[in-house]
Amino acid sequence: MKRRDFLKFIGAGGVGTGLGILFGQAIKPPGSKLIPYLIPPEDVIPGIANWYASACTQCAAGCGILVKIMDGRAKKVEGNPLHPISGGKLCVRGQAGLQSLYNPDRIPGPLRRKGARGTNSFEPISWEEALSEVTAKLKELSDKGENDKLYLLTSALSGHLGRLTDDFMAGYGSTNTINHDLFDYRNLRYANSAAMRLDAIPHYDIENTQYLLSFGADFASTWLSPVNLSRGYGEMRQGEYRERGKFVQVEPRISLTAANADEWVPAKPGSEAILALAIAKLIVDSGHYTGADASAWKALLAPFGLTYAAEATDLDKKKIRHIATEFMNTRPSLAIGGESISAYSNGVSGLVAVNILNHVAGNLGIKGGVRANDRDLFAGTRAKKVGPGIDALIRAAEAKEVGMLLHYNNNPAFTTPGTVKAAEALKNVPYIVSFSSFMDETTVLSDIILPANMSYEDWGDHFADPAPGYQVATLMQPVISPVYKTRSLGDTIMELGRGVGGAVAEKMPGGTFADHIKESWSKLYSQNKGMSASALTFERFWRDTLATGGWWPEGAYKEQKLSVTPKRVARHVSKEPAKFDGAATQYPLHLISYAQAGHLDGRGANIPWLQELPDPVTSVVWGSWVEINPKTAARLGVKMGDMVEIESPHGKIQSPVFLYQGIRPDTVAMPIGQGHTLYGRYAEKRGANPIEILPSTVDKRTGVYALNSTRVRILKTGRPGDLVKMDVSTDELGRNIVQTIAPGATGKVPPSSHH
Amino acid sequence: MKNLIIYIITAVIFVVTLGVGYLIADQYLGRAPEQPINFSHRIHAGDNEIPCMYCHSYAERARVSGVPNVQRCMGCHKIIKTDSPEIQKVAGYWDRKEPIPWIKVHNLPDHVVFPHKRHVKAGRKCQECHGPVETMDVVKRIAPLKMGWCLKCHGKYDVKNGRECWTCHT
Amino acid sequence: MSGILTRIKDKLKSYRVPGYRTKFDYKWTMVVDLDRCSGCEACVVACYAENNLPVVGKRDCDVSRRFSWIRIERYVEGEYPDVKVKFIPIMCQHCDTAPCEIGCPVYATYHNQDGLNVQVYNRCVGTFTCATYCTYDVRRFNWFTYKWDAPLEQQLNPDVTVREMGVMEKCTFCIQRIRVAKDTAKDEGRKVTDGDMQTACMQSCPTDAITFGDMNDPNSKVSKLAKSPRRYRLLEELDTDPSVIYLKRVMDDKKGSGNGHGSSHG
Repeated sequence: MKRRDFLKFIGAGGVGTGLGILFGQAIKPPGSKLIPYLIPPEDVIPGIANWYASACTQCAAGCGILVKIMDGRAKKVEGNPLHPISGGKLCVRGQAGLQSLYNPDRIPGPLRRKGARGTNSFEPISWEEALSEVTAKLKELSDKGENDKLYLLTSALSGHLGRLTDDFMAGYGSTNTINHDLFDYRNLRYANSAAMRLDAIPHYDIENTQYLLSFGADFASTWLSPVNLSRGYGEMRQGEYRERGKFVQVEPRISLTAANADEWVPAKPGSEAILALAIAKLIVDSGHYTGADASAWKALLAPFGLTYAAEATDLDKKKIRHIATEFMNTRPSLAIGGESISAYSNGVSGLVAVNILNHVAGNLGIKGGVRANDRDLFAGTRAKKVGPGIDALIRAAEAKEVGMLLHYNNNPAFTTPGTVKAAEALKNVPYIVSFSSFMDETTVLSDIILPANMSYEDWGDHFADPAPGYQVATLMQPVISPVYKTRSLGDTIMELGRGVGGAVAEKMPGGTFADHIKESWSKLYSQNKGMSASALTFERFWRDTLATGGWWPEGAYKEQKLSVTPKRVARHVSKEPAKFDGAATQYPLHLISYAQAGHLDGRGANIPWLQELPDPVTSVVWGSWVEINPKTAARLGVKMGDMVEIESPHGKIQSPVFLYQGIRPDTVAMPIGQGHTLYGRYAEKRGANPIEILPSTVDKRTGVYALNSTRVRILKTGRPGDLVKMDVSTDELGRNIVQTIAPGATGKVPPSSHH
Repeated sequence: MKNLIIYIITAVIFVVTLGVGYLIADQYLGRAPEQPINFSHRIHAGDNEIPCMYCHSYAERARVSGVPNVQRCMGCHKIIKTDSPEIQKVAGYWDRKEPIPWIKVHNLPDHVVFPHKRHVKAGRKCQECHGPVETMDVVKRIAPLKMGWCLKCHGKYDVKNGRECWTCHT
Repeated sequence: MSGILTRIKDKLKSYRVPGYRTKFDYKWTMVVDLDRCSGCEACVVACYAENNLPVVGKRDCDVSRRFSWIRIERYVEGEYPDVKVKFIPIMCQHCDTAPCEIGCPVYATYHNQDGLNVQVYNRCVGTFTCATYCTYDVRRFNWFTYKWDAPLEQQLNPDVTVREMGVMEKCTFCIQRIRVAKDTAKDEGRKVTDGDMQTACMQSCPTDAITFGDMNDPNSKVSKLAKSPRRYRLLEELDTDPSVIYLKRVMDDKKGSGNGHGSSHG
């Protein structure tokens, strides 16, 4: 080897090592920052979670929750184990609430309309500017003397926020507070009030019942208080020291809840009320009912003979008689009427029929049946009367009688039938103020947006309705600081009220909304014996309540006798099945639209977790589908995944086909929730909204638009659909995956039934 | 032809030594980044013998040891050495209500779970990993913080499940 | 043929110390009561929130890249009107003789002394072997480095590693929660008992269908539930010895395909 070469090698080695060291040092991470607290918050240790109690507002059930906070951020929501409604449990929407809080499509701060109405062209403004503009508009309306033309449209606001908005409206001189949610149980409230004189939804004691007969109540996913009722369901099935309860579901399709039933009874859509009354008649006729008014019941129920019922419901006579026998002989039994029975054109009648059934079987006011809920303590917080519905607002807007609209947290442009043309009507309103968090189909119509905090960022309270048989008051506290430039709705309302002056300003409490909540609770504390007995001083009580998440007298059931009289319900009992638009010859299939587990009335569609959550029944993700029985599909010549057109007399939409054995051949079903034209990046332009093609049929007693009130026909498009489902096959292929055991072989006794 | 071989050999040597150099830098050369304030551990922990956990107060209780909050700094320095330019910098942060943006010297990747708590409770001295910090004017990382280095110590002290992956990784 | 099978089985059994179940501190076990389970999928979302599971979008869902460590499977039997729908939550079964563990060439998945099948992300090189060996299709592969749209990333759980492209992952029985529980128990000088920790799915389950605990503790709820006459384990005939015990659904299922009418398996 030459000396020169050797030097070359040495040189290369040296330069290599040197460069290597330099490179190694250079690529070391530049040392991320280590930011200490300026002043450490009390009880905060970095990396160790703190839990704060609050209430979930993803639906109206009001589950107590605990939010896990680490380093100032919300990480996880769990049920509050002390809370009687959630009992430490939570549903899909409750779990996903954080993706609503941290949603990238939240409205980041106050906005003012720039372009034409409805074109989604807004400019950011400051809070001062926004508040002064709205105050000026409110004054302007008041100066014109048109105070009663102010409308407030919200979802049902619970607790003191609801009372504050009521005070605001009363002080301003308007009675036009409209509560609207697609699923707000107006029909149920009305039916219970008419039949049982109850002003609060009772507690349906699924936990302690031995025989549950559900008329389309999808309590496992959306109905009423799904977490609480599901907890009850688990106990009913396999609770310790008790017999296993039996569960029968009457519904035109197998919903998530029906899938859990021991028997599925596919009554013809719209005939459920007749079925309930026929069962009631069998019970009364059998002599099981011993009330003094038995003869009056017999007379009232006379038209609902077995032959007529079997024909109307398309069920076997034997089956109906079998259900009636089991229902009256298994003690206690319980009938519940859910979304599908109340969503017909005669929804109230169906729910009244369920109440009659409970009455004649002797299930009212007992453990394992229907238990009354007490509202005395908190009755002052909110009048729960069934007030005017969304149809009242839309009619007023059409007639240009709305001077100004305050809108918060609901979306009638999406949740009212297409024929109602809610968006068109609202365009007649000269000035719309929205407090919403997301740009949805209704919010986009507003002139100015003052986004409110989400419940995790705000004070508030919730009074459970339905409660579990005793009062439950849940307190909300801000568990994190606002993610965006939003403000507490309470503070905004109070500031507007003070700005307008006069009677409204007098009605507005002093201080902030946080002060107002504390003050209101101190009043409750001094008024309520149970509360004041639980702690010596209010400060002490307040501290405890913030820690435990609220107040409830656990197990203090209101033992109230409930009854239904023939006189009260006579006008709600009708032999007519529910009406469906469209001639049967032209539109042969009933359309059932139901709340999808994750999206409820469409509000969950902007949450990525819920979009990617397979539908519990069909396993479809990121889109809609239309459920069709394979027999019907074969006749129509469509197969799984084909895009079809669903046409009603009022319009048509397109959706891919999902073949499902668990639906009547004369019925098709579509989930509600998708089909948003506007609602953030995850929801927009995805699937179809079945509400679009519904008629404007309302139950006149409540003004609720009937979701199951039209027939449709299915037309082939010849194109493949965009159906994405997670299940490859729903056949076990002999692998024995879900093993079953016959009742009786389990050590658990099936409910006694005498045939 | 011969020249080509020489060039290839040179290139190979270059590449190999490049790697060696990188490893030297990675394993043996510490890091002593410039900090926003010339804080001296020698003065605090060495000369004045302030215990480590007076400032790094979470070490015994949590996964992280914690940098002292600015309030804690000012607790003493409202009175002590208020005329020093470095202390005035601290006071400046405090007055502006800004936290001090320290640069991390010891950093672990996200897939490692390292609880200070368990190590302190097991009786390990801070210096075993962090070196004689009380003699350092500028904090320098002395340990490579690589898995081999962790395991050496886990072996030495015969830690229960100390060589199991899941003890530190999830 | 049977000779080979026996040899494989023997190898599987000698794979770990015999009798290790009782030898060590814990044997984590999950019991899923199918008669309670309503199929509501609260567990699925809870798992997404707890374990930083990414959302992959519609296109990736279509090619089975969805990241659900726990999923609900549904089986539809019969024809209208005699239709039965059955649900079953399936997560990693933490098999005691796990096929995936033999497959991994880099020892990234192995059995720990608590009876958990552990996945070590930083060892994993993404050969996909474990996923192909898995009997229950519970392993999920990071085909890409998935992103969270800001500020959704603020929700990420700091106790759980965010995985990157090329890494296999699966249900861990919420090992980060087990770690916290053990840490607290160690401070108090005792063992982890019932009530110290719950997995995210168990905590969320509205019907209380999921129970998690230590099988080595005879007083734990799982030990008691495991004695139920309804007990069975998923595809038990494959000899994977899963740590998840299912309790049969009570149902009059008319098919009569030998689905355990009155009898009880294993």
